[in-house]
Amino acid sequence: MMLDPLDIARLESMAVRARVIVEGAFAGMHQNPHAGASIEFSEHKEYAPGDDIRRIDWKAAGRVDRYYIKRFEDETEMRTFLLVDASASMGYGRKGPSKLAYASYLAAALAYLLAQQGDPAGLLVFDEGTRHYLPPRTRGGHIRDLLAALDAVYPAGRTEPGRALAHVGEMADRRSLVVLFTDLLDAPADLADRLRQLRSRGNDVVLFQLLDPDEVELPFDELTDFQAMEPDDARRLLVDPRDLAASFQRESAALRERWRQICLEARVEHRFATTADPPAEVLRGFLFARQRTRK
Amino acid sequence: MHFLAPALLLGLAAAVLPFIIHRIGRRRARPVRFAAMELLMRAEREVSARRRLRDALLLVARTAIAIALPLAFARPFAHVRSDLPAVAARSQSAVVVLDDSASMRRRAGGDPLFEAARARARALVEHLSPDSEVGLVLASEGAPAPVAELSGDRARVLGALAATAPSARRADFAGALRRATQILTGSPHADRLIYVVTDLQASGWEDVTPAAVAAGPEIVILDPSDGAPWENRAVTSLEAEPAPEEGAQGIAVVAEIANYAAAPARGLGITLRLDGAEVARGFVDVPAGGRAKKRFVHAVAGGAGTHQAEVVIDHDGFPLDDRRACRVEASRGLRVLIVDGDPRTVRTEDETFFLEAALRAGGSSFAITTILPDDLAGRDLEAFGAVFLANVSRPTPAAAAALLRYVEGGGGLFISVGDKVDADAWNQVAKAILPQPLGLKRSAAAPPGLHPEGETVDLRPAERLAPIDRRHPLLSAFPAKGEGLASARFFQFMLLSPVSDAPERQVVLRYESGGPALVEAEIGRGRVLLLTTTVDREWTDLPIRPGFLPLVQEAARFLAGAPSGEAAADLTVGDKREIALQGDDSRIEVVKPNGESRWLVPPTHAGEARARHVVLFTETDEPGLYRVRAARNDGAVSDRPDAAFVVTLDGRESNPARLADADRPDRAHAPGAAGPVPHRRLELWHALGAALLALALLESLLTLRFKRGRVAS
Repeated sequence: MMLDPLDIARLESMAVRARVIVEGAFAGMHQNPHAGASIEFSEHKEYAPGDDIRRIDWKAAGRVDRYYIKRFEDETEMRTFLLVDASASMGYGRKGPSKLAYASYLAAALAYLLAQQGDPAGLLVFDEGTRHYLPPRTRGGHIRDLLAALDAVYPAGRTEPGRALAHVGEMADRRSLVVLFTDLLDAPADLADRLRQLRSRGNDVVLFQLLDPDEVELPFDELTDFQAMEPDDARRLLVDPRDLAASFQRESAALRERWRQICLEARVEHRFATTADPPAEVLRGFLFARQRTRK
Repeated sequence: MHFLAPALLLGLAAAVLPFIIHRIGRRRARPVRFAAMELLMRAEREVSARRRLRDALLLVARTAIAIALPLAFARPFAHVRSDLPAVAARSQSAVVVLDDSASMRRRAGGDPLFEAARARARALVEHLSPDSEVGLVLASEGAPAPVAELSGDRARVLGALAATAPSARRADFAGALRRATQILTGSPHADRLIYVVTDLQASGWEDVTPAAVAAGPEIVILDPSDGAPWENRAVTSLEAEPAPEEGAQGIAVVAEIANYAAAPARGLGITLRLDGAEVARGFVDVPAGGRAKKRFVHAVAGGAGTHQAEVVIDHDGFPLDDRRACRVEASRGLRVLIVDGDPRTVRTEDETFFLEAALRAGGSSFAITTILPDDLAGRDLEAFGAVFLANVSRPTPAAAAALLRYVEGGGGLFISVGDKVDADAWNQVAKAILPQPLGLKRSAAAPPGLHPEGETVDLRPAERLAPIDRRHPLLSAFPAKGEGLASARFFQFMLLSPVSDAPERQVVLRYESGGPALVEAEIGRGRVLLLTTTVDREWTDLPIRPGFLPLVQEAARFLAGAPSGEAAADLTVGDKREIALQGDDSRIEVVKPNGESRWLVPPTHAGEARARHVVLFTETDEPGLYRVRAARNDGAVSDRPDAAFVVTLDGRESNPARLADADRPDRAHAPGAAGPVPHRRLELWHALGAALLALALLESLLTLRFKRGRVAS
């Protein structure tokens, strides 16, 4: 069952949220879409729900009476960096969870899934600098630390995703998966270059652009005094939003389209979601897309 | 500017309400910390110009509404100089005499002068003090009074005023002032005034005497033309006559054009229309203040019958008198051949002296040819509409045969007897053309009877005519008691041999003794009239009686199949017209020049077994040709061209001469008109109310438009 973002927010901890989102994403699925298909055997891994049952090592099962999955060379040790934009603008959320909360749900679910697969996942929470960093690990308590860090994240400061990407680029010395959660509303001009650099080093880069439905539709119906959220931004606008709605929707669509084109050119996967979309569905769409890419 | 309710101006403070509401609205705006400010600012830049314009327009419109509302309720007004006399402001009884005569239909500055006159009268009625009483009278001859008694109901008077329309009749101020004076009689107010709204054309004031004006109520004249000069040209008369030089169907139409302007009219265009089609066009020069005649000669196509001729000159500001119509008889009937059976060297003793004089009299259109009996055989009778045989002793067989062919072919024959007539010879040779065989000559045995006072007394025994029957078309033009014929005395006459009754023969006139005086018979397609006495004074004094002329002229027209002279005569607007019913006519329809029609039924009086044979048409209110149709007892409806008639404008209405200042009736009363320069109140709140509505509409449209804009985008 896929829970909507409000239901997810009501769950007691980030660990539970992560598990619920992953279960929702895999509901009805018979294989782990994240598994590879290389022919060079590397190691065994204990079976987990979602793994392809065709790859169970039945001989090993006969010997130890437990199910193991064969893993191959390109599936091992894929380090994943989860980058979460925690700037002040990510704190916007009028009727549902904030964009930051929503990004945390998705990051937690991905971390949970990777931990289950035995893949190391790291977390970098940033605003204009790196606020919190957990390097990718596979040890037992790492996932707990990571989920706790996501639970404690709060919106503040300006956003500098380029700096965070540069930080990750220094540490990702092997082919890594870099997943960036941000709204791209005030993204600096050098972000596209940073994405290209990261991609040119052989890293797999995914950009989740998360927006509140208000930032897509502007569905206000009374005179409103809009004030900027970012620090040092004193802009404000007193306006009847109904006068601006159509124009705003065009601008919002243009922003998304611009980043979709930038990502396409940089061979970066661009995924867009609003905080009204069920996180499990967003996760499942992402996993399906990756499964198709790997096949 | 002044206000009837100035206290309500306090409401002007509401003018700041839209601004305050706007400011309060801004303060009550919900603050929202928003992340996508950059997108918002871009969107704002895109629509800000349009939005600011809308906001400004709405603020202006709403502020204007807030100002206009209390302003309108405060009922603002201004004092402006009035063109009404100062006396109008007094409490009074007043009668407004509105000039609706034809001259008021002229255009002054683009609009008919009557409109300006009516507006002036309306302003006057509205300006009179509330306790004044008003009546309304029209100045044209015979017009009814729309408000014939004093009324305090101003709406009623204004309604009656609005319903008035200019007429084509002449003005009759004497009658209108009499009527106004009657209305003011018994008025409760001490001040009694008659306001005459007129262009002061001199025509129509002739019968207003200074004595009557001095004895009557005070008269105030309002001139809507403000004395502006009026230069007019008019067709003042139009006549048609035979033009033998153009053949049997030739006619000559003579128009008289008057130029009332101070400058001569050179090259004035003039057009002749016949039955609506333009047949000739020319130019005429008319001296300043003078008259000129234009003669058109034309051969009428389509044969004998009645036609309408109309002459039109280039239009000026008064087009009503720029055209004039008349009837044209294009018929051989207007050519008359007289055969003189007893010619004399002394003209007055000639048998046909009175006959010719009667046919030529009154500007008639008869073309007369007189011959002796011996010349009859060689004549082409077909060229004549009627042949008169006066005291012809005996026709030759050839002449009798020619006359019979002529009558059977549609000709008209009039036979009068005398001492030369050989009755036996007539009965033998020309029996076929006699309505009734001739008998013995007889002298009257009866005394002359009563005669009007002053008449020359002839002591010879004489007969008189029995009362006439006007149902016969020949006699329809005569008064009911036959005045003009009743006084005629007949000393000798010829008896007629008795014959059996026949539908084609009838006695038109009888003597008191019962003998036939005038007998009509239809023979073939023609008619014969037989007069049993002479057309000179030898046997009768009829030729010197007033009835002789119309009798002879009507007989000539009747025989020729031409319309009666009475019918052909022109009427002036407002005249009445008697129309005789023929045969089994049951109703008469008169079609006016504007196409409207009226059905007329002859009235039946108590004690009369059958309806009278004439109807009276009174609505001759427009100049032009009035067509006549008759409905028979069997339901069939047919044209009566013989009864059609032309109505013309009274020529006096064309004369722009103004009433001299010395003759103006408002100068008879010294006081009253003088006084301080009057002012009138110009009410502004109506315009303000209209502006308020327009502003509200503008505000709604603006709001609606921007709401629609949002939905569409």
